[in-house]
Amino acid sequence: MGISEHASKQYDLDLDAIRSRVLQMGGLVESQIRRALDALATGDRALIDEIIANDHRVNAMEVELDGDCSQVIVRRQPAAGDLRMIFGITKTVTDLERIGDEAQKIARMARSLHERGSGALPVDLRHAADVALSMLRRTLDAFARMDAAAAAEAIRQDDAIDTEFQSVLRQLITYMMEDPRTITSALDIVWIAKAIERIGDHAKNMAEYVIYIVRGTDVRHTDPSKLEP
Amino acid sequence: MSAPETVVLESGMKQESAAGLKPKAEVADLSFYYGHFRALKDITMPVYEHKVTALIGPSGCGKSTFLRCFNRMHDLYPGNRYEGSILLQPDNADLLARGVDPIEVRMRIGMVFQKPNPFPKSIFENVAYGLRVRGERSRRRIEEKVEQALEGAALLEEVKDRLHQPAFNLSGGQQQRLCIARALATDPELLLFDEPTSALDPIATSSIEELIHDLKQRVTILIVTHNMQQAARVSDFTAYMYLGEMVEFGVTDRLFIKPAKKQTEDYITGRFG
Amino acid sequence: MAVSMQSVKKQVRRRKRWDVIFALVGIVALMIGVLTFVALFAEMAMNGAGRLSVDFFTSFPSRRAGQAGILSAWVGSTLVMLVTAAVAVPLGVASGIYLEEYARKHWLTDLIEINITNLAGVPSIVYGLLALGLFVYQFGLGQSILSAGLTLALLILPVVIVATREAIRAIPQGIREGSYACGATQWQTVRYHILPYSSAGILTGVIIGMARAIGETAPIITIGALTFIAFLPPAPIAAEPPFVSFEWLFSPFTVMPIQMFNWTSRPEAAFHQNAAAAGFVLVVMTLAMNGAAIWLRYRLRRNIKW
Repeated sequence: MGISEHASKQYDLDLDAIRSRVLQMGGLVESQIRRALDALATGDRALIDEIIANDHRVNAMEVELDGDCSQVIVRRQPAAGDLRMIFGITKTVTDLERIGDEAQKIARMARSLHERGSGALPVDLRHAADVALSMLRRTLDAFARMDAAAAAEAIRQDDAIDTEFQSVLRQLITYMMEDPRTITSALDIVWIAKAIERIGDHAKNMAEYVIYIVRGTDVRHTDPSKLEP
Repeated sequence: MSAPETVVLESGMKQESAAGLKPKAEVADLSFYYGHFRALKDITMPVYEHKVTALIGPSGCGKSTFLRCFNRMHDLYPGNRYEGSILLQPDNADLLARGVDPIEVRMRIGMVFQKPNPFPKSIFENVAYGLRVRGERSRRRIEEKVEQALEGAALLEEVKDRLHQPAFNLSGGQQQRLCIARALATDPELLLFDEPTSALDPIATSSIEELIHDLKQRVTILIVTHNMQQAARVSDFTAYMYLGEMVEFGVTDRLFIKPAKKQTEDYITGRFG
Repeated sequence: MAVSMQSVKKQVRRRKRWDVIFALVGIVALMIGVLTFVALFAEMAMNGAGRLSVDFFTSFPSRRAGQAGILSAWVGSTLVMLVTAAVAVPLGVASGIYLEEYARKHWLTDLIEINITNLAGVPSIVYGLLALGLFVYQFGLGQSILSAGLTLALLILPVVIVATREAIRAIPQGIREGSYACGATQWQTVRYHILPYSSAGILTGVIIGMARAIGETAPIITIGALTFIAFLPPAPIAAEPPFVSFEWLFSPFTVMPIQMFNWTSRPEAAFHQNAAAAGFVLVVMTLAMNGAAIWLRYRLRRNIKW
C-alpha cells in the first residue's frame, strides 16, 4: 500500500488527519468500555453519568469523520488503495460508534442494577469483557499499522466471545430457574453480556475492513478458519 | 525486459468467462520507432469485440502512438517503422504487414481526433466524405447512410433541418459528434478515439461518453484518455502504459479498485506524474 | 507598492508616453510612403486626365500626339497577361502542391526550395535575355505574344509557387489527417481539401504576380516588343473548323509600359501628356487587379475558420 506520497501534499495531510482521528475515536470508545465495566463493578454514579454524557463526543466524531471522508471523495476521486481506505474508514467509524452505544448501554444497565441493589453479579463477565477489549485493541493496532495478519488474528478471537456468551446465558438461565425473584436482575445481566458480545462482533467487522483495505479482498461473511494468516 | 503481464480476468470483483469474449484485434510484440527512437516496446494485448478498451498513462507514455498504429497514421510521416503485428479478426489480417496498404486498413478502422476537425464543408458533405472517396455514387444510398450515421452519433435531431449549412456553425460538442458520425458512415469495425473530450466542456463530454456507451454495441472501441475517471466510467477494459510499455491490462472495475502492479496503483492514486 | 489610484495613474501615464511617441513615429513613416505615392499619382492624373476619352482607348498610336491612343497597347497587355496566367498558374500550382504534399524531405528538395525563392530576386532583364535565346531563337517562337507570355510566366512563377505553398501550409494538419482517416488517397485529399481550401491564397498570389508582370518592361523590350504597332493581333475566331485560331499567339505586339516609354522619350510635351494618361490607366489597372485579389480572397475564405 502506498507508502510513497501523493503529488498533492494536502491530500496526504488530509488522509493522515482522518486516520489519526479514527484512532482517537477508537481510543475514546475503548476507554468508554473500560470505564463502563468499572462502573458495573463499583456502581459509581458519577462515573456512569460521565460515560453516558461522553457518548455525545463519540457521535460527534462519527459525524465529523463521515464529513471528512465525503470531502476526500468529492475532491480527490480516490482510486485503488485510497478508495479502499476511505471506504473502509467510513464503515469502521460506523462500527466504532455502535461500540460506543454498547458501552453506554452497559453503563445504563449498571445504573439500574445498582439502583435495585443487586451489586454482586452471580456470573463473571470479566473474562468475556477482557477478550472483547483485547479484540478491539488488536483491531485498532492492526488499523494503525495496516497489518492484515494482526487483523486476521483479531477476527479469530470472536469465537471465544461467542462461546463465553453462550456459557453466561446458560448460567443465568440456571440462576433464574433456581430463584425467580432474580429474573429482573438476570435479564439486565443478559443485556450486558449481549452488549459485550456485540462489541466483539463490531470489532470483528473492523478487522475485516482492515483486511479489505490492505489486500482488496472482501472477507466479510466468510469462514474465519479460511483466512490467510 | 520480460514479457509484460497480461493480467486479464481475476476473481474478486466480477466473474466473466474468458470464453465469452472474442478479441477483435490482437496485438503481438508490437514495437514502434520514430527514426531511431523506440517509442513502443513489445506490446502484447487483446482488444475485445464490442467492448470499450481504454489506454491510460502519463504524458509521453506512448498511448497515442500506440493508437495510431491501428490505422497506420504513422505512415503519413517519413522515418517511422513498425515491428510486430496487429491481427484484425475475423480474417486474421496483419494490419502492419508490408503487403497491406494503409488505405485498406483505414477503410475498416475509423478515427476520432482530440481536437474536432470537421471539414470546412456542409454537415452533409462532412459525413458523406468517407462514402464519396470510396466511390459511392448513388445519391439515395449516400443520404440513407448519412442519416443513419448522424442518428448513430445522436446528432440527427439537432441538425436535420440544416444539413447543408457549414459544419463550422456547430458548437464544439456537436462538431465532435459530427466527426464521430463521419467515422461511422463507413461502418467501421473498430473505432479509435484519441482523447475525444479533452477539448470539450463537461456537458459535451458527458454526451460523448453516453454515445460511446451506446456505440459499443455496434462497433469495438479503443479510447485514449488522460482523464482516469473517464476511463473508469466509460471502459470495460483498461491498459496502463508507461514509457512505451504496457504495464498492466485488465478489467476496468478491478484495475481501479485493486490494481495488480504497484506502478499502476501509484499512477491511479496520483502518487506520481 | 501602489497605495492609491493616483500614484498608479502617474506611473502608467509616464509609461504610456512611449506608446504615443511610437504611434506618432509609425504614422509619420506611413504617411511619407502613402503621401509620396498619392502625390505622384495625383500629378500623373492631373497631367493626363485631359487626354482620357473613348478615343484614347480606341485609337492606335500615331505621329500626331492628339490622335495617338493605347488600343494596341492595352490589347497587347491583356493578351500577354492571358498567356502568362495560362502558363504560370498550372505550372506554379502543380509545383507548389508537389513540393508541399508529395516530395519527401531530401537534400534535393531543399536545394530546389532555396533556388525557387532566389529566382524571385533575379533581375527581370535576365529573364528577357533567357527568353530571347530560348523562346525567340531556339524554339523559333519569334518576337510574339507567346514569347512574351512565356517570359513573364517564368518571371512570376516563383511568386505563384511560394503563394501556393504558403496557402497549403496554412491548412491545419488536422484536416489532412481527418481526410486520410476516412480512407482517402493522397490525390483525393488534394482534390477535395488541399486545392479548394488553398485556392484563396493561390488566387491572391497569382493576381499579385500578374499585377507585377503587367508593369514589366525590360524583358519585353529585350525579346523585341515593337514600340509602334498600329494594328491588332488577328482575332482568335476562324472562318473554318476548328473555328479557333491561334495565330494571334505568334503576332507582333506591344504593351502598355512600352507605349508609355516610347511617348516619354519624345520631345513634344503633348506626348508626355499621353504618357501620363497611359500611366494613369496602368496604375488603375494594377490597383483594380489588387482590389480583385482582396475581394476574391474575402469571398473564398468566408467558409473557412481556422
